[in-house]
Amino acid sequence: MDTFGSASEPRGKSPNSSAPNNSAPDSINQKLVDLGRYRDKRLFLAIYDHFAPRLKSYLVGRGAHSEIAEELVQEAMLSVWRHSSTYNPDKATASTWIFRIARNLWIDRMRRDKAHLLTSLDSCPTDLYPDLSFQPSLAPLDGDTLKSAINNLPQQQAQLVYKVYYQGKTHREIADECDIPLGSVKSGLRLAFGKLKNALGGEL
Amino acid sequence: MKPQHHPDSSSLMSYAAGSLPDSIATVIACHVSTCEQCQRNVAEAEQLGRFLMESSLPEQSEEESQHIDLAPNARDDILALIDSDEYVEPQVVVESDVQEAPSDVPLPLQPLLGKSLDNLLWKSMAPGLKQFVLPATSGTLRLLRIAPGTSMPIHSHTGSEVTLVLRGSYYDEMGRFGAGDVADLDPEVEHQPATATGEDCICLIATDAPLKFSGLVPRLLQPFFQL
Ligand SMILES: [Zn+2]
Repeated sequence: MDTFGSASEPRGKSPNSSAPNNSAPDSINQKLVDLGRYRDKRLFLAIYDHFAPRLKSYLVGRGAHSEIAEELVQEAMLSVWRHSSTYNPDKATASTWIFRIARNLWIDRMRRDKAHLLTSLDSCPTDLYPDLSFQPSLAPLDGDTLKSAINNLPQQQAQLVYKVYYQGKTHREIADECDIPLGSVKSGLRLAFGKLKNALGGEL
Repeated sequence: MKPQHHPDSSSLMSYAAGSLPDSIATVIACHVSTCEQCQRNVAEAEQLGRFLMESSLPEQSEEESQHIDLAPNARDDILALIDSDEYVEPQVVVESDVQEAPSDVPLPLQPLLGKSLDNLLWKSMAPGLKQFVLPATSGTLRLLRIAPGTSMPIHSHTGSEVTLVLRGSYYDEMGRFGAGDVADLDPEVEHQPATATGEDCICLIATDAPLKFSGLVPRLLQPFFQL
């Protein structure tokens, strides 16, 4: 079963797209670097056309309503426009950088929505994803290798990874939903992470 | 000193995916903020996340794709947004050599707690045991301050429970846990922690359970209050 869909080629069908469909990782990274330098709107739109539909799909998968997802996509892309000059291609691929932005916005939104649950007066939020002084440089991962590693995971481990990343489920939610012990959720994820790392030569 | 005990990779994965309960995510963030080994693992798990995000355009029927496709005016809207945007990236302040006063409050908690654990309004729970409850939008989050040489009852964890030592240390069957170390036990592992002598042990403890039914504290209090 192909839990994750095809991944290596972008299957982006963005009907609005007028940009050439050139979305090899290197070229996207370069576009983001150039955007930081030249503030060119055509470059921005090329990045937008590539990522916006994927971000929306990702957010809807996590349970965001269509309008909220769209709002967050725009917020994320505005962030990309604003902060592109701080993007460092040696530290992360463009898509990892944008993934972090979207993830953090989604979490901020969830926390804001639940802020009424905070009994404490000092509901000043903690910073869950601080900018760290040490940002490891990782070799860019090979999409095809990762895709086949994911497809080679035992079904249950693939399901766990899917539920964590696509559905945003906590370990306990997964345990309840699948009626398996919490310890099995943790060990299944642990094994999956190890296998994916191994398949990529010790580095994801 | 480098931490000896790290979060389980299942927790680091979920942290990278943004899928931990608020309380547990906070504890993981506090450890990761000082642990290069875990920063690397999180960065790797983020790479996996972005790969899955990038490939998150599944085969769609016409009907579904209307749900996923952006609104027709989305592209015009974002152009209007960036046209009127006046944000200016702040100049990065180069860190000077001036050393900040050392603090055992983890970086992610400093906006909330300031720089001193000693200035908090600790609430006494039992002889030798004080707590300070922190806000979390899901799960429970608290600081426990345990007097030196205190032995706790044997217990296991029914849900997710993650502990980070901020000051002092304790021992259990797994070894010694000092400042920076994380206990991210599989549930049902029984252990009997005891604090070392010399100084208070201060831990940050998160559970994924609602406040009333949760975690270590009620069980800790059982012998005192016969709960
Ligand atoms: Zn660590």
